[in-house]
Amino acid sequence: MISRSALTRGSQLALRRPCAAKLAQRGYAAVASPKASYEPTDIAGVKVAARDDHGPTTRLAVVAKAGTRYEPLPGLTVGLEEFAFKNTQKRSALRIVREAELLGGQLTSYHTREALVLQANFLREDLPYFTELLAEVISQTRYTTHEFHEEVEDVIHAKQAKLGAVAVALDAAHSAAFHSGLGAPLYPTSNTPVASYLNENSVAAFAEVTYSKDNIAVVADGASQAGLSKWIEPFFKAVPATSPEPLSTPASKYFGGEQRIPKTGISALVLAFPGAALGASSPETAVLVGLLGGNSSIKWSPGFSILSKATAAAPGAHAQASNYAYSDAGLLTIEISGAPSAVRKVAEESVKALRSVADGSVSKEDLVKAIAKAKFDLLSQSETSGTGLVHAGASLIHGVKPLQVAETVKALESVTSDKLKAAAKGLLEGKASVAAVGDLFVLPFAEDLGLKKRSHSRTASKSPLRNPPIMTFAWKAAGITYNRYLAVASRVVRRSLKEEKRLAAEPRGETEVRFAKWSGGKPGEPKNLAEANAADIITRAGAA
Amino acid sequence: MPPPSLAPFIIKRPWLLNMLKPVAQLYANAAGYRQLGLRADDLISEENETVLQALKRLPPKQSYDRIFRIRRAVQLSLSHKLLPKNEWTKPEEDVPYLGPLVEQLENEIKEREALDTLEVVKKH
Repeated sequence: MISRSALTRGSQLALRRPCAAKLAQRGYAAVASPKASYEPTDIAGVKVAARDDHGPTTRLAVVAKAGTRYEPLPGLTVGLEEFAFKNTQKRSALRIVREAELLGGQLTSYHTREALVLQANFLREDLPYFTELLAEVISQTRYTTHEFHEEVEDVIHAKQAKLGAVAVALDAAHSAAFHSGLGAPLYPTSNTPVASYLNENSVAAFAEVTYSKDNIAVVADGASQAGLSKWIEPFFKAVPATSPEPLSTPASKYFGGEQRIPKTGISALVLAFPGAALGASSPETAVLVGLLGGNSSIKWSPGFSILSKATAAAPGAHAQASNYAYSDAGLLTIEISGAPSAVRKVAEESVKALRSVADGSVSKEDLVKAIAKAKFDLLSQSETSGTGLVHAGASLIHGVKPLQVAETVKALESVTSDKLKAAAKGLLEGKASVAAVGDLFVLPFAEDLGLKKRSHSRTASKSPLRNPPIMTFAWKAAGITYNRYLAVASRVVRRSLKEEKRLAAEPRGETEVRFAKWSGGKPGEPKNLAEANAADIITRAGAA
Repeated sequence: MPPPSLAPFIIKRPWLLNMLKPVAQLYANAAGYRQLGLRADDLISEENETVLQALKRLPPKQSYDRIFRIRRAVQLSLSHKLLPKNEWTKPEEDVPYLGPLVEQLENEIKEREALDTLEVVKKH
């Protein structure tokens, strides 16, 4: 017989639980099916990438080819980003914000080096409203003077004040690696003179160039295909089909070099190497990033990846490896930040670690771990909306094949330790880009770390046409001193003068200097300098 | 809050506007500010938040010219003189430059108030 106390509320709940658990399981099972890749389509001339998991929320973004790489003047991308969702011809910025709030939506704008993203996150049924809003923002923003001075400038200054040493170092590393284009800073620092380029008129002109159908892509995550094709066509009608003047997009070239910037506060050091581009099939790079790691997977522990072990010796420092993939280039970086001395120590340790990877001392277990990490990073990146969205949009506007998750995972699994070894060796033998920001008295130079700033002479001799000899220092190449070079040049000038001028100029070229070599505390035989020089040249010529 | 005005009523009716325009010009000339080289918008009282904000939104050149006109007028007023007749503000120069900005700001404030006191009616 069951006693009454056993039939309390708690036990009743416990009895019900299996049933409830079954319900919950069913719910999870539906969600756990893997997310599809973005499917590129074309709706009324607009490039659209969409995927739909039938969830309650939607993320809709306009990805424009207007990242810092494409800005014609410094700071324009940032200006355009901050001008998003400001006054348009139809409604004010305040109304846009309040209406979005009423619908429970979020409006954000951000940029990468290649893309400018205007994104709206909202409930699924509000698709028409937010499609109209995004189209209105890109085609009808007014770019008013007072908004620029009262709102945009303030936000830019506030964001500049927040830039840390790592961000500055990453920008410096990109600049050393790619010079212009991808080397343009992601966010101009407060020391960058942008005031002469950045104003509402230049931003409006840049918007006109960039916001055209051939320069943008609409990326939708969680919107039905029917809804998109119904609403994009009427609302994006006002967006011009082609840009009035196409953006100049020279191909990226990797240079490599070193940059050092003094800064108070914490120090940062970025070691960068040529990495994998967007859509390039180089799974080794992804696995190498997973192997170097840096970010701890568990709390209260530095973790067990190679960079984590390197930081263990210098508490307070943080090191992390990542691959920045762009449409036609990539940059594999090791970012180290912390107290200057700790940064120095970690930098030395991490180069040592990279060298040991190149020597092939990676255990089988580490390789398996690194592949698993790379796989997880890839899958979680494509699933969490933010980065996946930007990647899908960026590959669409650059005409790169969008990320095919299943294929890439298979490629990752095929990485062997030999391939990894070769990849690490390639990094160490190529030119590195090193950026040091902070206490330069302590932070090491690339040479101190044993990294090469110039590629092998072997690779240089491969393409003699690409690197023509620099003619500025012909005298250096001839193997004479600068004084000697000047003397020869002036003699030639004097001798080519007209007769009467030459007679006057000739004595100026004659020098009468005697010198004697002292040896053992006694002067040697005094010699005439001019005669000695002539004799020297003859012996040199004979030797050559 | 601007005082009630008949202007919108009159502007809507061209015949009335044409009839009253000479009277308005006569009034403006009689008001005496044109003889000091001022414009009508220079007379807008700047001792309130809206107008101060509108003054900040003036382009630098217009702002400089406005200060110049006001200082010249103050000087003339102190010395009990008028400008020579060829320097008086001409009717075609007497265009509103600050009024539209003040109006724009007032609209912004009105919109904000309207949105702040919004009542949401749920359709479903």
